Amino acid sequence: MDAEDRVLLDAFRRGEDSAFSALVIKYRESVYRVARRMLGNHEDASDAAQEVFIRAHRALLRFDGRSQLYTWLYRITVNLCLDMRGRSTRLPLAGEDDDGDERSSAPGVEEQAESRETGRAVARAVVELPPRQRAMVTLRLYQDLPYLEIARIMGCSEGTVKATMFAALRRLRRALSDQGVRQP
Amino acid sequence: MKDRCRDVLERLVEATTGTLAPAQREGIAEHLAVCDRCREEAAALEATVSRLREAGQFHTPPEFWAQFTNRLTERIANDRLPATARLRRWIALPRHAWGTAAVTAAAALAITAGVRLGPTPPSHDPVRDQVRTLVTDTMNSTLPSLGEMLEVMGAGFPNEIDLANDRARP
Repeated sequence: MDAEDRVLLDAFRRGEDSAFSALVIKYRESVYRVARRMLGNHEDASDAAQEVFIRAHRALLRFDGRSQLYTWLYRITVNLCLDMRGRSTRLPLAGEDDDGDERSSAPGVEEQAESRETGRAVARAVVELPPRQRAMVTLRLYQDLPYLEIARIMGCSEGTVKATMFAALRRLRRALSDQGVRQP
Repeated sequence: MKDRCRDVLERLVEATTGTLAPAQREGIAEHLAVCDRCREEAAALEATVSRLREAGQFHTPPEFWAQFTNRLTERIANDRLPATARLRRWIALPRHAWGTAAVTAAAALAITAGVRLGPTPPSHDPVRDQVRTLVTDTMNSTLPSLGEMLEVMGAGFPNEIDLANDRARP
């Protein structure tokens, strides 16, 4: 486990609540980004990230430290999002402007507009993937997690992750092509 | 599809997402140089991954994280930890460590002593012994449940009852 996380975890075990706050500040954006990719909108992602840290606070004393703390947090996040996704009513519809605050560093006005449109198309394509494919794509492409870590989080083999990723990328390729997104 | 193509396609995901070892990457490049179909597939996958990654990061309003953390702190303050978790934290506190160790050692000692000495023998009850001497075989044969009845009654007798006084009465 990361040395800094271990220090914070030990401090939390000794009753220092500020240690948990430090962990929240360290991981809140990563947890939110995973939830946002998986759920497709800000409100649900924000609620999910809150719930992840509430659950983590309850269970942190039982965390054995054999895996990275972020792996453990991502597992909670993915499971929660898979569960929320199953009963959510706030999912974005095709064409809905749910990613208005997704930006890129494109310089000109036209490029920015095109980039925003591409961002929306990509977010829609990702959110329309089957849940487990969506989780794996999010963890690999956006959180840059190694396949082994993803396999631990998803509770399957590394080979299964690779095969699922392959299927997901083919599907995304078709979806982006259908939405008229040009290849870079 | 040739076996080599299948093998290369399986590893293309790793190659395009950047986790393949350089030696394996070279093997794939050699195959792509001579196989049009795999080369097309690789180019398409690479373009998709590139497009997905370029799509930008999510940006949140400036005040969002402060509100998020405040709300979370409030929720955690209202969300009492389970009793077992609170006990664990209490035990882990350095100022409780010696006390916890002493209590644990005493409990371990008591359990060990209990196991070694075994169960304690039943205590001797003089009143019941006195009663048993008064009951003859004839009484037992006449009243088969007399023994059981005396056991039940004996269980309720206080220790200070002196049966000898009752026997002396006419």
